[in-house]
Amino acid sequence: MRLENLSAWYGSKRALQDVTLDVEEHAVTAIIGPSGCGKSTLIRCMNRMHETVPKARVEGKVHLDGEDIYALDPVSVRRRVGMVFQRANPFPTMSIYDNVAAGLRLNGMRDRRRLDETVLRSLKQAALWDEVKDSMDVSGVGLSGGQQQRLCIARALAVEPEVLLMDEPCSALDPIATAKIEDLIFDLKKQYTVVIVTHNMQQAARVADYTAFMYLGRLIEFNRTRDLFEKPREELTENYITGRFG
Amino acid sequence: MTPRATQRKAFGEGLRKLNENMVTLAELSELSIRKAVDSLARVDHGTANEVFVLDQEIYALQLEVEKTCVDLIALHAPVARDLRTITTSLKITTDLDRIGRYAKDIAETTLLFDPGRRHFKKLVSIPHMADLTITMVDTAIEGFVKRDAESVRHLQETDDSVDALQDEVFREIVTYMMDGSMTVEVGARYILVARYLERIADHAVNIGERVVYMVTGERLPRVRAADRAKGRGP
Repeated sequence: MRLENLSAWYGSKRALQDVTLDVEEHAVTAIIGPSGCGKSTLIRCMNRMHETVPKARVEGKVHLDGEDIYALDPVSVRRRVGMVFQRANPFPTMSIYDNVAAGLRLNGMRDRRRLDETVLRSLKQAALWDEVKDSMDVSGVGLSGGQQQRLCIARALAVEPEVLLMDEPCSALDPIATAKIEDLIFDLKKQYTVVIVTHNMQQAARVADYTAFMYLGRLIEFNRTRDLFEKPREELTENYITGRFG
Repeated sequence: MTPRATQRKAFGEGLRKLNENMVTLAELSELSIRKAVDSLARVDHGTANEVFVLDQEIYALQLEVEKTCVDLIALHAPVARDLRTITTSLKITTDLDRIGRYAKDIAETTLLFDPGRRHFKKLVSIPHMADLTITMVDTAIEGFVKRDAESVRHLQETDDSVDALQDEVFREIVTYMMDGSMTVEVGARYILVARYLERIADHAVNIGERVVYMVTGERLPRVRAADRAKGRGP
């Protein structure tokens, strides 16, 4: 995935300024930066979610397999570029099974055997199967916070996206649930390209192969994670990651 | 717009304490070299015994530095230059401890000579080696304290001078041993002392290399002395 001179606005307020970034396939890219720096806006532009906000607009290009996603149907883009949010948001009236199957049914899949297979595969990929296999008919909101987040990941994986965007997926979770999600991210990159927005720099250091540091809507530094945390190129990055922002 | 740089208080306090202890550790190591060589030159057992006390102090301080580093890593998860400062400190303490141990070895050599006994001649090369090595340790630690990678880049060249002096001592002592004017046992003591000082200089070079990494994030390549000499030309 390649972002080219990407800018984004909320009304007259510019939230992103000319961001150009190559997202490596089958790797994890973390986006870090202080609140309001444009991290979430950036990934919301990567699956055309940004434009769903009234008065929001985007300029620039986002290439997926060589095609500009802004020249494609937004619904098909979101099928190829899945998203997991900060707060787990399982459909409250649906069972665990139906939550995972929701996207597939929306795409017109009716074959029960294929649905069963895909739900099973997705829950296994999301490392949730062993915990829910005996309660597939139970409501998704009855699960713990960490389980709900993995359910949302399973739901996103069910439609077999190429890219998985995660917007602070662990910020509401305890360390044990966080560790499970981080282990999951490690496994997922074998099949998917993962982009994660996180406030937690140690999390970026633990899970990401590449890290982008953003500040005031600009991409300040994009580097291999180990280089960014050992010898950042930019002083602004250094000051941020070492906690010297005042 | 660039935000104002500040530092977290507890972490800053920890780094300040680490810096102070590193300076003290270096001062103790330098003092122990000076006293050790002085004790040898004057065959003064009292001064030699002071080196053993210094060795204990160096070891205790090394443990404290290690503890501070582990605490800073565990509690503050440092990154970038903070991480490089802490890992460099951990590595440098080992060098400084080794320097202290070599000074102790020299002081032990002093005890092998009868108190007040004169050497075969006034010692010149060995005290000169000691001066050079102390200056090297001083330069390396100054670079650490001032976060200055430039001042330590030429330590290799001083190390070449120390190596040349060691060769000089070796050849001189072997000559005395061969013509029978010095016993092998006594001659070996001087050769070993020159060897200890040469090793101290090597540790100073190590410290310098680590300072460069700490400041710049770059690791200096190792260049053989013969290749450095070629680079300098005839």
